[in-house]
Amino acid sequence: MPGVLSLAAMLVLWVVVARISDNPRTMPGPEAVAMRLWQITVMGELWFHAGMTLFRVLASFALAMAVGVALGLWMGRSRTADHWLNPGLVIALNVPALVIIVLAYIWIGLNEVAAILAVALNKIPVVTVMLREGTRALRPDLDDMAMAFRMSRAARLRHVVMPQLAPHVAAAARAGISLIWKIVLVVEFLGRSNGVGFKIHLLFSNFDVAGVLAWALAFVAVMLAIDIVVLRPWEARLSRWRRDED
Amino acid sequence: MRIDIQRKSFGGPDVLGRLRLDIRRGQRIAVLGPSGIGKSTLLRIIAGLDRDFQGSVGGDERLSVVFQEPTLLPWRRALDNITIPTGCNPALARDLLARVGLQDQVDRFPRQMSLGQQRRLSLARAFAARPDILLMDEPFASLDPDTATRMIALTGDLLDHSGAGLILVTHDAREPARLAARPLMLRGDPATLHEDRQAN
Repeated sequence: MPGVLSLAAMLVLWVVVARISDNPRTMPGPEAVAMRLWQITVMGELWFHAGMTLFRVLASFALAMAVGVALGLWMGRSRTADHWLNPGLVIALNVPALVIIVLAYIWIGLNEVAAILAVALNKIPVVTVMLREGTRALRPDLDDMAMAFRMSRAARLRHVVMPQLAPHVAAAARAGISLIWKIVLVVEFLGRSNGVGFKIHLLFSNFDVAGVLAWALAFVAVMLAIDIVVLRPWEARLSRWRRDED
Repeated sequence: MRIDIQRKSFGGPDVLGRLRLDIRRGQRIAVLGPSGIGKSTLLRIIAGLDRDFQGSVGGDERLSVVFQEPTLLPWRRALDNITIPTGCNPALARDLLARVGLQDQVDRFPRQMSLGQQRRLSLARAFAARPDILLMDEPFASLDPDTATRMIALTGDLLDHSGAGLILVTHDAREPARLAARPLMLRGDPATLHEDRQAN
């Protein structure tokens, strides 16, 4: 209930600011934005561009999670790997997203591979750090147990290691998906000819603020839906064993 | 199997000195000694969990371990806690669960079980690996006397039934007799094994 009230308060504030500024071009009210939202939804434009953006989000997300989990696991387990890779990781964490995007476009070309790679490269260091911490907290007694019972490497990873890392993977995934879609928009803004970021680029060139807000809101809604429909239930399923059940 | 240790240290002075131990399937040995003397270190070497020592552990006997704590997979139900680590079939796992009195707990997660039940599950898991020699590290130490007595009796039954040998590490001099195990003392600095002449 407070959540709904808070949203309503923000909406009222928006209406008031729009009225006071009295400049529908730079500060359009909610009605104007809702109208645009309706237009792009029924005309089908939203679905194509949101679909392209979503594809880039999912591809770079999958790549970043796979590489980040593997690197984090390796660095958490092997001190040598940690010593050698840590300086690179610290640098990677501090390179601005924009620099990686620009360099990827210059070195690889203005294509899909460069776009997805640039986004993934921005996210990989963050996933790596979170998973390295998780790996360091793995229970040594369960490692001993797995070794004493001669469990295979694959069985150990699946039944002993991954269940302990699951909360860290889930946290990295949820933090990651929101970071990734923001970077995807920048990548599209700079060098793609479709997607929500590309549309915002066009509307920005025309100073069409209502359009920019409509596209942004539409995509925020899509990402929230993914969080609620996919990520949260998945996280809940992973932590089922923590709950008592009778 | 033959355990032949020259020395073992953790970087500082030697913890274990020269010691030799032969054990076959069906034989039961108890290693006694005060805490901190190196009993658990010796057991970890025998179990293959610590390879950083001078000497050798040889033999093709199948080993299985009951740890001091139950050491179960909290995210797996009781049955899976037996089948996944040991690779045994579910029928054998159910049979063992029944032997340790956990037939009604098959689908429970470890945290839904009492500590005594978790330890019995850990015992069932160890026997599910069909060991020739069972290694036990102070398995009865933190139990109340009644539970400990029942666990010891249960362990004895399962050993009789399976014919497995036993290396039990404990600081309680009464336990070897109750499991019909030959008591050996670990003592000295660095520690070595001695026949326990004081034992009754």
